[in-house]
Amino acid sequence: MKTNLYAGVAILALTSGAAFADGHQPFAIGEGDFNWDSYTTFADAHDLSGQTITITGPWTGLDAENVTKVLSYFESATGATVNYSGSDSFEQDIVISARAGSAPNVAVFPQPGLAADMAAQGFLTPLPEGSDAWMRDNYAAGQSWVDLGSYPDQDGNSQYYGFFYKVDVKSLVWYSEASFDEAGYDIPESMEDLKALTDQIVEDGGTPWCIGLGSGAATGWPATDWVEDMMLRTQPPEVYDQWVANEIPFTDPAVVAAIEEFGAFAKNDAYVDGGASAVANTDFRDSPTGLFSIPPKCYMHRQASFIPTFFPEDNDAAFFYFPAYAEKDLGNPVLGAGTLWAITNPSDAANVLMEYLKTPIAHETWMALSGFLTPHTGVNTELYANDTLKGLGDVLLGATTFRFDASDLMPAEIGAGEFWTSMVDFTTGTSAADAAAKVQARWDSLK
Amino acid sequence: MENIAGTKPALNWAVNISVVFLVVLWLVPTVGLLVSSFRDREQIAVSAWWKSPFPVAQNFAAKANLDNLTERDGLFVIEGNIFTEGGNDEGSIAAFGGARTSPDGTQPGDTAELTRDRTLTVQANGDYVYTSPAEITRAPSIYFASETPPDFSLENYEIILTSDNMDRAFINTLTVTIPATIIPILIAAFAAYALAWMDFPGRGVLIALVVGLLVVPLQLALVPMLQLHNKVGIGQSYLGIWLAHTGFGLPLAIYLLRNYMVGLPRDIIESAKVDGATDFQVFTKIVLPLSFPALASFAIFQFLWTWNDLLVAKVFLPSNSESWVMTVKIADDLLGSRGGDWGILAAAAFISIAVPLIVFFTMQRYLVRGLLAGSVK
Repeated sequence: MKTNLYAGVAILALTSGAAFADGHQPFAIGEGDFNWDSYTTFADAHDLSGQTITITGPWTGLDAENVTKVLSYFESATGATVNYSGSDSFEQDIVISARAGSAPNVAVFPQPGLAADMAAQGFLTPLPEGSDAWMRDNYAAGQSWVDLGSYPDQDGNSQYYGFFYKVDVKSLVWYSEASFDEAGYDIPESMEDLKALTDQIVEDGGTPWCIGLGSGAATGWPATDWVEDMMLRTQPPEVYDQWVANEIPFTDPAVVAAIEEFGAFAKNDAYVDGGASAVANTDFRDSPTGLFSIPPKCYMHRQASFIPTFFPEDNDAAFFYFPAYAEKDLGNPVLGAGTLWAITNPSDAANVLMEYLKTPIAHETWMALSGFLTPHTGVNTELYANDTLKGLGDVLLGATTFRFDASDLMPAEIGAGEFWTSMVDFTTGTSAADAAAKVQARWDSLK
Repeated sequence: MENIAGTKPALNWAVNISVVFLVVLWLVPTVGLLVSSFRDREQIAVSAWWKSPFPVAQNFAAKANLDNLTERDGLFVIEGNIFTEGGNDEGSIAAFGGARTSPDGTQPGDTAELTRDRTLTVQANGDYVYTSPAEITRAPSIYFASETPPDFSLENYEIILTSDNMDRAFINTLTVTIPATIIPILIAAFAAYALAWMDFPGRGVLIALVVGLLVVPLQLALVPMLQLHNKVGIGQSYLGIWLAHTGFGLPLAIYLLRNYMVGLPRDIIESAKVDGATDFQVFTKIVLPLSFPALASFAIFQFLWTWNDLLVAKVFLPSNSESWVMTVKIADDLLGSRGGDWGILAAAAFISIAVPLIVFFTMQRYLVRGLLAGSVK
């Protein structure tokens, strides 16, 4: 009798939770190929009724809607209330609120560099014990994710703070299928082929590339991605790591050569739509539209996996992996980035939320929505919303080397400052050596 | 007659022309913004706003319909109509082509020779014939140039006005703005009177201090002020943002009002004092009414500044969507994931400008009238 009563109460609680969250849950619980077992196990183990978790992050608009939908499953599983608010100026807001003592429970950092800064100042709380071991076992290339999420705390002891959730792949070249098809161009398999194709397009009277560095106050960042990709394609990953840590200076011939490799594309008037002088002025959001104009303004656009948001409707976009040099034997390096979740204002509920991010269902629900990639090995990849995303997932899995966006790992004044502006200088005329020297001088002044 | 001093027609013309030029120069960005607010993101990307009132010759792509494939005299032929298949009932083709690189190389009615001995003929009304000696397996693309009429819509305005919580954001903005305008004026009027007409030691130093505060950027004070609010227990709340706006607005308010009050005629105030008026009476009965233009002009300043403020609102108000003011709502919710919706931004600018405009035009006559004019002669 008593058990019946309990069961009745439990059912009541479950159904009321479901009714409450009904409005924004896109997938009915228990239906489809999702890992609902992980959901029910989690729901049975945790009860946070009446508790509230506040989260701030950089996602606004569609991404904010999606994360709210994904977190609604956490709400219905635990009974907690989650308030997510996205901000266009997240990087500034989180620093102000943390210093003033009004930080949210959880913050979603778009850059590990910022999270590391805040950890060093004592504003972050380490993740529950065992999280690093879990990440090592359950994420593809787990150790590298743990490394990226571990920073020294106030006393200099390395702790594990950042849980990577939502990853972007950056080593991609986007093109229009119809343009390639009609012109008879093949997908290049190596960097040599890509350069030959670039020349071929110029010979045929076309313009191969659309490159745009404009991004308001962040103008220049797309160039840093180019340089990082070139770094991975001309140097072994160990050199890349040394570069990130400034163990080799920016003025090292390896780095200067990588910048020049980027310049070979961006500083050639015949290669870029609008000429080399347009590169710095073109907004990165407007830049890819040239792929789809008729006649095409350009044929290829190197940009991360988020860029389709800015393609015009009814496009025939496709992508290929930004290839590596066949002769250099460096494998298939992939450049990526990701957002990491960290606890900025500890509470039990925040810890439970971090536990929830480990469940496959937390990943699968967003995979099925759109715009989400994950290195979680325990998820059903059939659930990706479309073939493009699945293809992106394959690039992630096919990587022989995965490296995180270097500019995101460097100190903010370099990776979100001098590196950007120096690359703008570089595309508008400065030599690679001078631009590199400027970044290094700034970095030296920080030490 | 022409040499009479004071009339220089040539100079007048120069003045008039330069005034017109300056007015146009100032208006151009606003007009551009207004036009953009009626266009969607793709239109903005495709053509400039000053071209928007005219029909644009635009290139399009369409797929030939494979279902209509027939075999005739050894040739594979697809026939159809671009417009009916595309869902549009009517249109007219200005030029066409069979390749993306030359979308408008052939005139309607002519036949374009394509690669691999294929041909394409398109009539002005959209009827097309595509032939190929070899079997066609994939639907070929037909490119054509067509004039699109100018297209304006109220969609951007609709999106903004009907978005969730927009009314809430409007009320929130008013809740922030009105007290944040009134409180500093109240305090500053008293302070300005004291600094202008009351003799006490250290007055000069105080004035210098206030003027000095004008150059302190408010960004410096954000973190310490929020810390203080948290300590006192105000936290992130409306009271907090009123106090913040008051603090940030006071130096300018005191400086402005004090300079105005100092310029009031000494005779009036002294005769009032001789007649036995106290300082408070002088302030409320004489100085305050006479200072109305200055109060009104500062009110306009402060109102516009608090209305348009984004930074202070983000720092001193909670970040949940229930306490968003309009600027935050627009920047963080409506502009899209990475801020690419220019059309929305333009429309939002015109919506949020409406209230300040009303305030400006109702208060402006006080600025112009100048109560002082009648009192001293």
